[in-house]
Amino acid sequence: MSTPPPPPFDPELAASLALLGDQIPPSITPDLIGPMRAARAAQAVEGDFTHEGHYTEHALTVKGHDGADVPLLLWRPTWTDAPTGLLYWIHGGGMIVGNHRGSEIPELLATAHSLGLAVASIGYRLAPEHPHPTPVEDCYSGLVHLTDPTAHPALDAARVIVGGASAGGGLAAATALLARDRGGPRLSAQLLVYPMLDDRNDTVSAHQMAGLGVWDRTSNDTGWSALLGEARGGPDVSPYAAPARATDLSNLPPAFLDVGSTETFRDEIVDYATRLWQTGGIAELHVWPGAFHGFDNFAPHAALSREAAAARLSWLRRTLGA
Amino acid sequence: MGRVGALDPQAEAAVKVIAYFDRLHGAGLEPLVRGATVLSGLPAALVDPARALSLRARPDGHLTRTALPDPDPAWPHTAIGTAVLWVETTDPAGPVLAMVLERAAAAIGDHLDRTPPPAPPLAALLTDPDRDETERLAAARRAGLPPATRLSALAPHRGPVRLIAPGEDPGAARAGVGPAASLADLPGSLADARRALRFTATGTGADPGPVLVRAEHVGALLPLADTVRPDTPPPPDVAALDRLARDSTALIALADALATAPSVRAAAAALGVHHSTAQQGLERAERLLGWNVRTVPGRLRLQIALQVRRLYLPD
Repeated sequence: MSTPPPPPFDPELAASLALLGDQIPPSITPDLIGPMRAARAAQAVEGDFTHEGHYTEHALTVKGHDGADVPLLLWRPTWTDAPTGLLYWIHGGGMIVGNHRGSEIPELLATAHSLGLAVASIGYRLAPEHPHPTPVEDCYSGLVHLTDPTAHPALDAARVIVGGASAGGGLAAATALLARDRGGPRLSAQLLVYPMLDDRNDTVSAHQMAGLGVWDRTSNDTGWSALLGEARGGPDVSPYAAPARATDLSNLPPAFLDVGSTETFRDEIVDYATRLWQTGGIAELHVWPGAFHGFDNFAPHAALSREAAAARLSWLRRTLGA
Repeated sequence: MGRVGALDPQAEAAVKVIAYFDRLHGAGLEPLVRGATVLSGLPAALVDPARALSLRARPDGHLTRTALPDPDPAWPHTAIGTAVLWVETTDPAGPVLAMVLERAAAAIGDHLDRTPPPAPPLAALLTDPDRDETERLAAARRAGLPPATRLSALAPHRGPVRLIAPGEDPGAARAGVGPAASLADLPGSLADARRALRFTATGTGADPGPVLVRAEHVGALLPLADTVRPDTPPPPDVAALDRLARDSTALIALADALATAPSVRAAAAALGVHHSTAQQGLERAERLLGWNVRTVPGRLRLQIALQVRRLYLPD
């Protein structure tokens, strides 16, 4: 089967991509994991991590499923002592890079402040050093810890949103599946920002965008293979690793999903949303035409980026009744 | 990995600027103005009076299409036909900024060339004194207005001229309203609306008074709008009111309330202050002004001075 051409990039995003071209290789191969981590480590993370004094940052640790210490950051509101809801954030980075105090946190704090929420971000361990199930188990451990009222009386366990972008979105969806299946914390919502859901990496969109944009099929293979090794794409992949593998998507919290039409993840995300509806679930899906993976992060000024941010905030408001 | 942000002058900035705007070909004006903003890291704006265009973008991408105050002449800017593109900084334009302006202006010029200025809105056309009466009445006919229609021109403080029917609510925005006129006489209604606009106030602080003024209500003072210009030396009574306003915005508000209320008691009620407070304030106002404002001639003098003062106040 020959692959049809990809949908064109949005002109404003295309211009931004051209500007950033030398910083973002579309195809990330395993040998680039080390240099990418080094480059990120060398990059100072700027921004206001208190959102103008509305939050204080607390470094915590939780016990992972294997007894190891997993770092967790919690931003507590300074404006109230009453229990608040929580945005539990899982950072992205293809399962292989990234950290839990990234450049998106200041923006998240601003969003959380407008919704009256605390924010937490889990420093889950990365693949390939820590393959599945360690990353998702770390995420789940953090969630269980934060929703324990004796440990965190200032957090309202009945108002918890799990969210993440890219690999973090996939881990957020998997954490929601775990919480459902283990009878764990009852989540209010799942915010799945262009989530990485399907290790099979074989949809039309995965083929269409090969060598193009941000996080193409090769990069995706690198990420999933780091997480799953030889099992990637095979018959025995757990839905807690790749939520697209879940056959039962019923009884999940209301979901927000977004994706660009010109990115690898398009088809798997649209399919996930469709299957949530088919089981009677609540889901909101936005497909941004001509957007590449991570468009709003790389080009926050662009019209589509601003629309995407507004759509997420609007959904959060409606879903939380905030 | 980076974000799109203000360019490093040491980098191959020129090449990147060219590539950025080339890629935006056909994407419309908003991405071009945003491009100028995001590549310079400065707010940027495009204004074209001939096309009623007014766009301003902030570096975070937020874009507005509302009327803008005139730019600081010191800001780096580029003329594009009848349009002007500027970025808001008083620092001198370096080579990267100059390149951003030049490439953005070229792309905007290209876009504007392909989109001719629209026909002026009907209200602008019908009130335009530079068009002859035949042309204006033909436009009115084409728009389906019956020949006997009577309308008032409304000159807003910001934004395009409007036409309102007699009895129609002129809205709450700062504006002058001309007298109802026949279709042929609408330019005259607009001229009076613009005169009336000069007698409006912001309605706050040191500039109390009506935000909406009808030309008929200004009455015999209306021609003063043509003779009093901002550089005309203000008469002593206006200077005295300015002193009063500088002394206390509460006092100028009180003077204004007294000028428009039937009594001191009513003025106090309108301001929500006690009668005796108003009395004390007026005594102080009279000392600063140098005349008694509570006699009939003194009140008239105050009313006229307040009206004339508005002709001197900047927008």
